[in-house]
Amino acid sequence: MPLEATAPLAKPGRAAAYLDWLQMLTGAFLILFMWGHLLMVSSVLFGRGAMNGIAGFLETTGLAQLGGPVIAVAFLLHFVLAARKIPFTSKEQRTAVGHAKMLHHTDTWLWIVQVVSAMVILVLGSIHMWTVLTDLYVGVPGSELGINAETSAARVQKWPWTLLYIVLLPLAELHVSIGFYRIGVKWGVIKRKGRKKAKLIEYIMAGAFLLIGTATLIRFLLMDVN
Amino acid sequence: MARTLRFHVFRYNPQDPASTPHMDAYVLDETESMTLYIALTRIREEQDPSLMFDFCCRAGVCGSCAMVINGRPGLGCHTKTADLPERITLLPLPFFKLVGDLGVDTGTWFREMYTRVESWIHTEKQFDPASEEERMDNETAEQIYELDRCIECGCCVAACGTARMREDFLGAAGLNRLARFMIDPRDQRSDKEYFDVVGNDQGIFGCMGLLACEDVCPKHLPLQDQLGYMRRKMAMNALTRILPWKK
Repeated sequence: MPLEATAPLAKPGRAAAYLDWLQMLTGAFLILFMWGHLLMVSSVLFGRGAMNGIAGFLETTGLAQLGGPVIAVAFLLHFVLAARKIPFTSKEQRTAVGHAKMLHHTDTWLWIVQVVSAMVILVLGSIHMWTVLTDLYVGVPGSELGINAETSAARVQKWPWTLLYIVLLPLAELHVSIGFYRIGVKWGVIKRKGRKKAKLIEYIMAGAFLLIGTATLIRFLLMDVN
Repeated sequence: MARTLRFHVFRYNPQDPASTPHMDAYVLDETESMTLYIALTRIREEQDPSLMFDFCCRAGVCGSCAMVINGRPGLGCHTKTADLPERITLLPLPFFKLVGDLGVDTGTWFREMYTRVESWIHTEKQFDPASEEERMDNETAEQIYELDRCIECGCCVAACGTARMREDFLGAAGLNRLARFMIDPRDQRSDKEYFDVVGNDQGIFGCMGLLACEDVCPKHLPLQDQLGYMRRKMAMNALTRILPWKK
């Protein structure tokens, strides 16, 4: 702490509080969305009709057209807000990684996983969203619906889209599950007594979602799209 | 059978221009109930009188002997060698100014922190030395005491990822210190006044919730619960100030 810190550093304001609220709320909103997203897409495991039915419902009611941009804005806003804490300079990165290596502390490593996954999700998630939203608004030639099992399967089967989803899926699931736990401890919802249990739930959730996601990806990879 | 312990100790004397940071190795036979404090004292007495480390109470009360023990900040006098592997690496606490080898100056930082959180009772009441001391209910006194148990060893700050990246962060010790006054009925500061001290990125909103402070605190202070409570309280304070019906 520098000695001059005793002088007021800046005029006291409430911006930090509002930004923290927003970071938490956009995070919580995106967690809920991601759970719903995965469950809805994984409906393809019950047959392409199940997924097409849900997609059709979301599109005919306008929920997809309306929700898509809202999710995109929340996604970018959440990144900008969380970036306040992300170590961007190489000095900060060296400190953060060196600190985590020294400490052998799970929660510190979980945060590093969140930071690294955030950067990958920002790029790959944006590509995914752009593609899905253009499918939704512009449509795919030869396809009636913007989002459907066949279009998704065709995309997943096409290299390097396959690689994109193989990387994006586990990182997104990890980021979401760790984020869920971290909101809990940061805001005092998870107390000292319940932390061990909450962490176990976090691991189980991450594992379960990863399993469902992987099964869904495999289903898309094996689907006959002709 | 007694183990043979291998100590790898950070050595550097900033006062000596010829000194360069390096690690020295020492070998010691483990004795019963040996603590790191005992081990370091034996190394200094039997092998290397130039070894520098801080200690005072030898009983986990003064917080002087905090150091990084196999990667984790902890107290030398509190840590039994029996709980450690045969290879023990000792480093000074990061974040604080190095005095020499394992000794750091935590005092300057804590004094600065006290000034920033204004760590004293703020009251308009005139002190009357003749009157009887005002009573405090037992539950409140115990709550204050629970947070006052901090021995200012600096382990929480050294283990804090946020503090390592931004030096102006108050750390769990600073936030815990202010929390102690927030409970104290004698302190007449309003929530807004408390907010002005910690309602920023140098205070509670800088905390990333990594909880290393909670996990390394040698006195097991309830830092996780305290930080969560303070974030909610300060966040609600800011929120209620923009809600017209709450003004």
